[in-house]
Amino acid sequence: MSDSARNRAFWDGHSDSYQETHREHIGRPEPRWGLWQLSESELRILGQVAGKDVLELGCGAAQWSILLAGLGARPVAVDNSARQLEHAREALAAAGLDFPLVHAAAERVPLPDRSFDIVFADHGANRFADPYEWVPEAARLLRSGGLLAFSGSTPFEVMCWNEPADRMDAELHLDYFGLHRIEEADGPVQFELPYGEWIRLFRANGFEIEELREIQPPPGAESTYRAAEETEWARKWPMEQIWVVRKEDA
Amino acid sequence: MSHVERNREAWTEYAPEYAEWAPRQWASGEITWGVWHVPESELRALPNVEGLDTIELGCGTAYVSSWLARRGARPVGIDITPAQLETARRMQAEFGLEFPLIEASAEEVPLPDESFDLAVSEYGASIWADPYRWIPEASRLLRPGGRLVFLVNGTVMILCSPDEELPAGSELLRPYFGLHRVEWDGTGGVEFHLGYGDWIRVLRANGFVVENLIEIQAPAEGDPHRYPGLPDREWAQRWPSEQIWVARKRS
Repeated sequence: MSDSARNRAFWDGHSDSYQETHREHIGRPEPRWGLWQLSESELRILGQVAGKDVLELGCGAAQWSILLAGLGARPVAVDNSARQLEHAREALAAAGLDFPLVHAAAERVPLPDRSFDIVFADHGANRFADPYEWVPEAARLLRSGGLLAFSGSTPFEVMCWNEPADRMDAELHLDYFGLHRIEEADGPVQFELPYGEWIRLFRANGFEIEELREIQPPPGAESTYRAAEETEWARKWPMEQIWVVRKEDA
Repeated sequence: MSHVERNREAWTEYAPEYAEWAPRQWASGEITWGVWHVPESELRALPNVEGLDTIELGCGTAYVSSWLARRGARPVGIDITPAQLETARRMQAEFGLEFPLIEASAEEVPLPDESFDLAVSEYGASIWADPYRWIPEASRLLRPGGRLVFLVNGTVMILCSPDEELPAGSELLRPYFGLHRVEWDGTGGVEFHLGYGDWIRVLRANGFVVENLIEIQAPAEGDPHRYPGLPDREWAQRWPSEQIWVARKRS
């Protein structure tokens, strides 16, 4: 089975429990990022979205795209899981909104070249699709000057995951060189790259690197994604990061 | 004492040892990077240097500049330690390669704006000067379109290195957030190391486009290095002990 098919099956099977577990944590009235739901109005990653064509890669129940529509964006939301998109469809109906939901893997998005001003993901397809395939897709889909921004895991989180003990610690359990495809028994296949690999991949696809925002959870930060001791770990070492890159003028 | 004074003192003490190594480094026909001597022909961190005005920030015995000079560059080397510059001058005479050597800190370089095409630093100002001071200086010194190429220790290595000057193990011993000024017990010098996002921010804020980050993996074969504080080859094959940032000043 391909990684994409395997992850589709995983998310079809876990979508209901995921949406139930995190409903309140991510059911916010304003756009918020990541594990600790830090507000976009503070992080200022996407900038002005009004009037822009925005593509969300790995939208889940489309919580993000719905809020961006409310801010005047024209969103299109993609997910690899049909069950996640059913949740998205219900959420759109409840919000009285209608924008395209596309069932596709981020490695192959059935949309035309240069049709978006912003492509983004919040712990979305970037975690579950191969960067060497989805980053070129994002470059193809963006107009010149367009923004790609995505939050996800970090090499430190991946290396310090103590799988047998099922917890984070300070030990490097994996090598840094060769980091790419991370496979856990019974889990989805996830992807993370060394910093230099990300930078070369962006450059090779015509992106200028604007920022790497490494998230340190603020005092009082809470999460339904991470246990309190994991949030403590993340105060010392980056567990979440947001890459912000811009497609150069052709 | 300022970090510049402390580093000058430390390097005055190290200088005799580096003077011993200098002749072999100057004689090398190949440009190599870092303690694993990975050839430039593999890493391709540098542009073609022929005809370029280059400045080496924290040149020490100036062997890097000697390599650039032999490839047709017009180098200038700066360093804060007179004893290191003395060795560099002796090597210049010995090898018949003359270029300007200036006693100065990379944080305050007494040279005009936009006078270089390439600024380079290998274990020089790149780790011994404050990036929030020397990166703006490098930007000022470069012409639009000029390159900045510098080697520093790998962030993972710094986080895994104990306070005593001992090699890194496989445990993170210091926090990543706030990484900046680093001092090792029992050594007089002050080093500076940043996290990835901070390097990108300081480069961008000073008009640089980030072109590459080459994380050096130690080759499988070769001689051991001579630095007690650096990890062995086995470690450096798993995690980065060195990394080279490549940036271009926006045109």
